[in-house]
Amino acid sequence: MALTRSLLKILAATACSTILITPLMAADPIKIGVPVGLSGANSVVAPSVVQSAQLAVDEINAKGGVLGRQLSLEVADDASGAAGAQKAFDSLVFQKKVDVLISMETSAARNAGLPIVARGKVPYIYTSFYEGKSCSPFMYVNAWVPEQQVPPIVDYFTKEKGAKKFFLIGSDYAFGRGMLAFTKAYIAKTGGKVVGEEYLPMDGSDWTPIISKLKSAAPDALITSTAGGAPNVTLTKQLRAAGVTLPYGNLAVDEGTAKSMGSDAKDIYLSASYVTGIDSAANKTFLAAMKKKFGGDLKTPNDLSVPEYEAIYAYKAAVEKAGSTNSSKVLKVLGEVSVEGPRGKIQMSKQHHAPLTMYLGQVQADGSVKVIKSFPNTDPGAQCPNLKS
Amino acid sequence: MRDLDANLPSVASRWLRGAPQWLLRVRWTTPAAIALVLAGPWLLDTYTLNILIRALFVAIVALTVDVLWGFSGTLTFGQSAFFGIGAYGLAIVFTQFGFGPWQVLLALGAAVGVAAAVAGFVGWLSFYPGSTPLYVSVISLVLPIVVVQLLYSGGAFTGSSSGLVGFETFDLSLEGWFLVAGFAMIAVLATTSIMVSSDAGRMLSAMRDNDERCTYLGINTSLIRIWLLVATGVAAALAGFGYVAFSGVAAPENAGFIFGTQLVIMVALGGRGSLAGAVVGAIVIEVASAYLSSSLPFIWELIVGVTFVVVIVVLPGGLFGIFRTFGSWLRGKHPRASGRDAAGIAIETRQEAVAIPDPDAVVVEVENVSKHFGSLSVLSDVSFTARRGELVSIVGPNGAGKTTLIRCLADGRERSEGQVRIGGRSIERLPPDQVVRLGLGRKFQAASVFETLRVADCLRIARSRRDKPSFLDVSSVLRLPPAARAVAESSGLAARLDEEARFLSHGLKQALELAMVLALEPQVLLLDEPTAGLTRVERQAFASVLRELVVRERLCVLIIEHDLDFVRQISSRILLLHQGQVALDGPVADVVNNPLIREIYTGNHQSKRAKDAPP
Amino acid sequence: MVTLVLDVVTTAAILFIVSAGLLIVFGVMKIINFAHAAFITVGAYAALVASRLGLPSVLAPALAFVIGGLIGAAAERVVVQWLYSRPLDAILATWGLSIVIGQLVTLAFGRGVQFVPAPISGTESILGEEYSMYRLLMVAAATVIAILFTCVLNGTRLGLSTRAVIMNETLAQSLGIDSSRVRLVTFGLGCGLAAIAGALITPLASVDPNMGLAWLISAFMLVMISGGSLLTLGLSSLVLGGLQVVVSTFVSPILGGLTIAVVAAVALRLRPEGFARA
Repeated sequence: MALTRSLLKILAATACSTILITPLMAADPIKIGVPVGLSGANSVVAPSVVQSAQLAVDEINAKGGVLGRQLSLEVADDASGAAGAQKAFDSLVFQKKVDVLISMETSAARNAGLPIVARGKVPYIYTSFYEGKSCSPFMYVNAWVPEQQVPPIVDYFTKEKGAKKFFLIGSDYAFGRGMLAFTKAYIAKTGGKVVGEEYLPMDGSDWTPIISKLKSAAPDALITSTAGGAPNVTLTKQLRAAGVTLPYGNLAVDEGTAKSMGSDAKDIYLSASYVTGIDSAANKTFLAAMKKKFGGDLKTPNDLSVPEYEAIYAYKAAVEKAGSTNSSKVLKVLGEVSVEGPRGKIQMSKQHHAPLTMYLGQVQADGSVKVIKSFPNTDPGAQCPNLKS
Repeated sequence: MRDLDANLPSVASRWLRGAPQWLLRVRWTTPAAIALVLAGPWLLDTYTLNILIRALFVAIVALTVDVLWGFSGTLTFGQSAFFGIGAYGLAIVFTQFGFGPWQVLLALGAAVGVAAAVAGFVGWLSFYPGSTPLYVSVISLVLPIVVVQLLYSGGAFTGSSSGLVGFETFDLSLEGWFLVAGFAMIAVLATTSIMVSSDAGRMLSAMRDNDERCTYLGINTSLIRIWLLVATGVAAALAGFGYVAFSGVAAPENAGFIFGTQLVIMVALGGRGSLAGAVVGAIVIEVASAYLSSSLPFIWELIVGVTFVVVIVVLPGGLFGIFRTFGSWLRGKHPRASGRDAAGIAIETRQEAVAIPDPDAVVVEVENVSKHFGSLSVLSDVSFTARRGELVSIVGPNGAGKTTLIRCLADGRERSEGQVRIGGRSIERLPPDQVVRLGLGRKFQAASVFETLRVADCLRIARSRRDKPSFLDVSSVLRLPPAARAVAESSGLAARLDEEARFLSHGLKQALELAMVLALEPQVLLLDEPTAGLTRVERQAFASVLRELVVRERLCVLIIEHDLDFVRQISSRILLLHQGQVALDGPVADVVNNPLIREIYTGNHQSKRAKDAPP
Repeated sequence: MVTLVLDVVTTAAILFIVSAGLLIVFGVMKIINFAHAAFITVGAYAALVASRLGLPSVLAPALAFVIGGLIGAAAERVVVQWLYSRPLDAILATWGLSIVIGQLVTLAFGRGVQFVPAPISGTESILGEEYSMYRLLMVAAATVIAILFTCVLNGTRLGLSTRAVIMNETLAQSLGIDSSRVRLVTFGLGCGLAAIAGALITPLASVDPNMGLAWLISAFMLVMISGGSLLTLGLSSLVLGGLQVVVSTFVSPILGGLTIAVVAAVALRLRPEGFARA
């Protein structure tokens, strides 16, 4: 009895809320869905992603919007995982009825979201670097894949540091294993040798035995690919506490995380498509605008947040080129438009992925990243041979 | 014997007389819920349907948590693991072999089979005579952690942290899925509701209230709990199967410890021990978090956390607990056990008279029994025998080892050395439930009954080893052996069969426990200070009951008693224990008049050991 | 080999430090404090505050102890004291408490990973092997904690009352011991110890709102299996921690992470009373 009454109440409540949401206004804004990990593993970086999305939307709206319509953001928490992503994508696609999804997410969240994107036939721009080879006619990617990120570090260690023996450490999950699998193959291809490859569960925090193995294997260089945030920090701290001073390339660190590791992060090598130190007018304008908009609340822009900013401009360009927000028309031209952003000129023209300028950097004592070398127009390789364009 | 028809609960049942009785217990909520599910697709938008379909599958797992925790008293964080097993069973099979009829069967078989096997193993690990609820909870915590770790390390096979996605699955419309999920939930709810309120289902609450009493009624509670875990594990796996069949994504979170705790939170807020409460709790939290967690992610969790703490501390019954209390306050009487009809119950005497082969047989043989705690010796070298038709009082000052002796008789694992035979058979190292099967009944010192069960149910549980209770029906007849019936009737319990045991007076609880033990039809009855706290009148009534049992039923009664006058009045023999040894054993007059007994009670007696000790 | 032994000893020391607070609470109250992880987190954030205030790093554990102890005592008065007769509900209420504490920490400090500089860094040469100074320091810290607590339990009135309550609460009450006060103090101490652990592990762990959770299961299992004695806790930390290191080193770190939980679960099945009387 009470069951039915409560059920009725829920049903009534949900029915009301949907009725209130549905009425549409005449010049209604173009809705951009941003499913992002406000909680969970990505919660560290998610605020910076949301900030760059807000800046892009504000800038575009201030200049009259897109095809005379304003842009509006719909942010939803995907809890950094598959289960949460399903809920977030459902909500954005079917409840908020967004025109496009643009976001940085974990691989788990992306994979879980793709079937929903396909059902809703919504364009989806994925703005996170990832382990590569995720393909959908609805998805474009404007961030790096292993083919672009790993070679700069490995080549630098081999050529400049004379490294022959490499030790690999990762978190036991798709990104960790995917990156290191590519790294291993690439090292073999370039004549180096992998003397150890160890993984800890994603939520593991005690790296002691692995570090002991690392020390006894006596490699020339170390490359790690952990889950973002806590595992990355614990590994680095414990490496430093154990006195490891090898050339240390970290595939999963961004500037913000490096900063939060303080002095422990010093001398880490990273390879990224964006560092705050990029010396270009576009980057300086962008940083100034971010600083002006967010002031003290500014989260340091990074390799995961800047692509979000650029992707919104890419969507704008595509809608303008297509002359409408119609999904299939936009999808057709997304690979043809190019955007000049903080990372330079970017066009998602290679099988839905983008050639990028990659930077090899080294973390300094103050947490800033010094660019050692840049690699313009690095090709993503054959990510999705079955997709046209 | 009253006319059975007069006891039938409602008018409606009269014209439904043809229907099985258990069907009548499905109340109008079920048709109403069915109507709601049928109406759902027309009333709700796509998004809400999406959320509700998931919520309905989650509600099924929440139900299994409620059965385990609310009904049988096992607090579990591990049902998420079974949900995950079902989810991955489907996802792995469909990913590896594609979608098709035999793949569906294989996936179902894998989900059910693996879940049952894991549940069986975890059950074996968790439930054994002497396991503590705390230990069981901790094991339930380890299970999802291990399962998730295995999923992480499964590489492409399990999809690691990304889970499995992109496999072909059932091609059903959203509306179709809503009907499937809705009917699945209602079916599980109705089945569970019939089962837990059936005579056999009362066993769960009995185990929750008093596991030890169950054990001493000859019930193997560990085995029941293991089977219950297997059943609920399979149900949870099927819910996970449905969840992933709908959503097309199997994620490690589906199996994780956090989801396991969320299920417990849902049940706690909805109301543990109330099936509808669990379902409503699950649906409300799932739907509310879908709407609120993205708009206020931090605050939402904070609200859930605070509410949870408040509910646990102040309102352990949850939302439906309030309804229940409020409802019974409106009716202005004691709340009865949930889901039961107020129908009267007729007591029936078990007629078949058991011929006692040898009315004077020796049924208790104790040989050189000792019990040590480390270097401390509580019993040393105790030997005696007792026959049918004998009432042996075990007396002695505090700390003489009386209760320890009773324990060594009733539980094969207690004694350190020596032999005990009940009815001519050695109790070896058997746990209490198996010793009881040899023909022993033990009444505890403090009245030990099932507090939230009705008197009739307490007695029925006590009979369950001999009269297998039904998993569907609620019987209106209570069959008791003559001795148990006599106690029930002379004490006045027979008139209060549908009252919950916790509302009985102390004396009536003692009588109830005695009737429960007698319902076992034991040859040997162990009583530990049965008259403590009884009034004078109750005590006299009890004495005559005992005499009847010994004389007419030819029971062998061993009783621990402090009141020497009472002992003198009832005993046929007295066994005096002192410092863990048998000091005297003989007819009442011999022992009572022996000067040793006065010495021991006044503390003047020097024990043999003390005398032997070097000065 | 030297490294392996050092790994085992230091791992055991860290496990001991992390579990000691839980053990105290479990020993006296027979309830499991599910908020233990949250108090580890509180301790780590106390260390963060201490370093931001520029306090010497020796004071960080002290500050953590005070803050953790006070919050713990408050939690005992508001939540836990009503639940002693309902141990399973105490698990749930303390779990709810940990959600609340976690969210409050998040609201105050954000979800991000925070940085606390390590008080000492570098390595020490032991038998020809360079080994982390800080991990070696943990062995000393574990020893200090063990000695301090043994002294408190054996040498003070409070310790005497506590042991009396552990052995026989009714009797202790009838002897005029205020068991409710003993419990308040014990719960506060347990939470304070958890916070000390949090402050001590910051140089080896990340400081974020969920950091404590990673330690929770190991701590539970160690406490369950040690059956409430500080000495057996030390032993089981050494045995199970050692097993974890060995499995991680020679088999796989992934299995290593599960070693303590699985081995302890099976061991408890085979020997339900724990190993206190072994």
